[in-house]
Amino acid sequence: MKVIKDTLIIAWMKSYPDLKRNPLLLIVIAVISAIPLFFMAIFASEGMLIHGLIGAMVSTISFIGVASGIQDVSWDRYVKIREMIVAMPVHPVSYAVGVALAPLFLSLPSLVFFGVVASAWHFVDVPTVAWTILTLVMAWAAMSAIGFIISTYLYKASTYLLNNISNLLGLGLIFIPPVYYTETMLGGLSWVSMIIPTSNAAGLIRYYFGLLPLTREAVVVRWLILIVTTVVFIVLTSVKAKWRET
Amino acid sequence: MTEAVKSLNLVRVYQSKEKVEALKGVNLSIDKGELFTLLGPNGAGKTTFLRIISTQLMPTKGDAMVFGYSVLTQPKEVRKHIAVVPQDVATYGNYTPWDYAYYFARLRGMPSQTARQAAEKALKSVDLFQLKNRTCSTLSGGEKKRGIIASALASEADVLMLDEPTSGLDAVARRGVWSALRSLVEAGKTILLTTHMMEEAEMVSDRLAIINKGDVIAEGRLDEIKRLVNEKYRVIVSGHFDKLSDYGEVTKIGDRQIVYVKTENEALELLKTSLKLKLRAEASPITLEDVFVKLVGGINNESH
Repeated sequence: MKVIKDTLIIAWMKSYPDLKRNPLLLIVIAVISAIPLFFMAIFASEGMLIHGLIGAMVSTISFIGVASGIQDVSWDRYVKIREMIVAMPVHPVSYAVGVALAPLFLSLPSLVFFGVVASAWHFVDVPTVAWTILTLVMAWAAMSAIGFIISTYLYKASTYLLNNISNLLGLGLIFIPPVYYTETMLGGLSWVSMIIPTSNAAGLIRYYFGLLPLTREAVVVRWLILIVTTVVFIVLTSVKAKWRET
Repeated sequence: MTEAVKSLNLVRVYQSKEKVEALKGVNLSIDKGELFTLLGPNGAGKTTFLRIISTQLMPTKGDAMVFGYSVLTQPKEVRKHIAVVPQDVATYGNYTPWDYAYYFARLRGMPSQTARQAAEKALKSVDLFQLKNRTCSTLSGGEKKRGIIASALASEADVLMLDEPTSGLDAVARRGVWSALRSLVEAGKTILLTTHMMEEAEMVSDRLAIINKGDVIAEGRLDEIKRLVNEKYRVIVSGHFDKLSDYGEVTKIGDRQIVYVKTENEALELLKTSLKLKLRAEASPITLEDVFVKLVGGINNESH
């Protein structure tokens, strides 16, 4: 019980001060994800906008997911708040999940906004909403795990280097693969979208929205890939991460 | 008196490009309700000791106990009794002192109302309650440091471990922290403090240990430490004075010379002679710094 309580306290303490004292951050998060929509509205067909909205949802959760793993953890080390928490009766899992959950709180308003617009644009039923939320949660878990793996394996890297890696990785995994556009545009290379968590999640959501025809087997394979990659990243992180230095 | 902390032959070796023995079998014991200072030059092993005791770092050999719990095998139990303020700790600019104190109290398992009371009490004890809602980015260095100390206090842990908590603070801020620490000791808390500042060690410690290159070279109350050297007085002479070493051990600091003598009469004799030679001289009892330099190994010593 304390593990869950501590997780929520850490998530709250790492998001509430930002929400309260830097509310503009919520707009920044939304705008970063919305920028491609602006260009799509001008240069692409109207039918592409729904793909863009799905991309914006995945982008919101992914960009901030990877940033939490890398930036929050490295800043916590820098300001030494982590050292203080290690010496407290707090479980490392509470800390890791709390750090990962915090940006989820911050990205929730943008997610809801994009979700409502997407649902209004392209009518969806309750099961679709449920599957979309589940897919987004998995995308968040996968991207947070990628963030943690980087901050763990590049333990001695400077905070500034890690911040740059986080930004580059976030942008690279969101804007290059088929997140804002449908993977069918890649033709023979469309399979690539399955191995990248962001585009895999976007593909699944498109399937639930009825925008991407996939066989039942293909959906199962995609889910398996998303789950397995997340688990592998978490295992790799937990093997290397040291709560207490040896 | 009950032992709050006890280290048993604590060894820590860092394996990097070359092997560094940061602690070479340290045995220390800290009583409940005392402020114990670990004094040493930079790189002496103070932080390593504190990090092992606070369960952040594993020892290479040996063990340490906090209220009877082993840091090696019972870290979870140890963590229930301690709170740490690391060296060179920084703050999140958008956090307030209240955030630090309140959330850290919550992480201790306190219910919201209890955590509020603990945070309020902690902030008042470091004289920061008035500034509790100011973000850290708008606070001075001393206020930030006191905010972090308040977060450790709010945890209401039995043992507080503070790694050079006043480094970088001005004299007034430093005294504010010292005052808070002494109040906590009065309230029954045990404090382990590391510092390289002699004045701090002299001002706040009940007992202290001097550590150098991973070895404890002296341990005891201030008066006991001072008794470890034979000389009891020092005379500082400015200017040229032949045969000064006839009076005692001399340490040169530029154009000034510190002469360590054993008795009050020897100090008076040297003062009189210096004045006859129209040299400026002043005498005083030896300080902790004098003892420290002698024990650790000083500069430009010229024994008679």
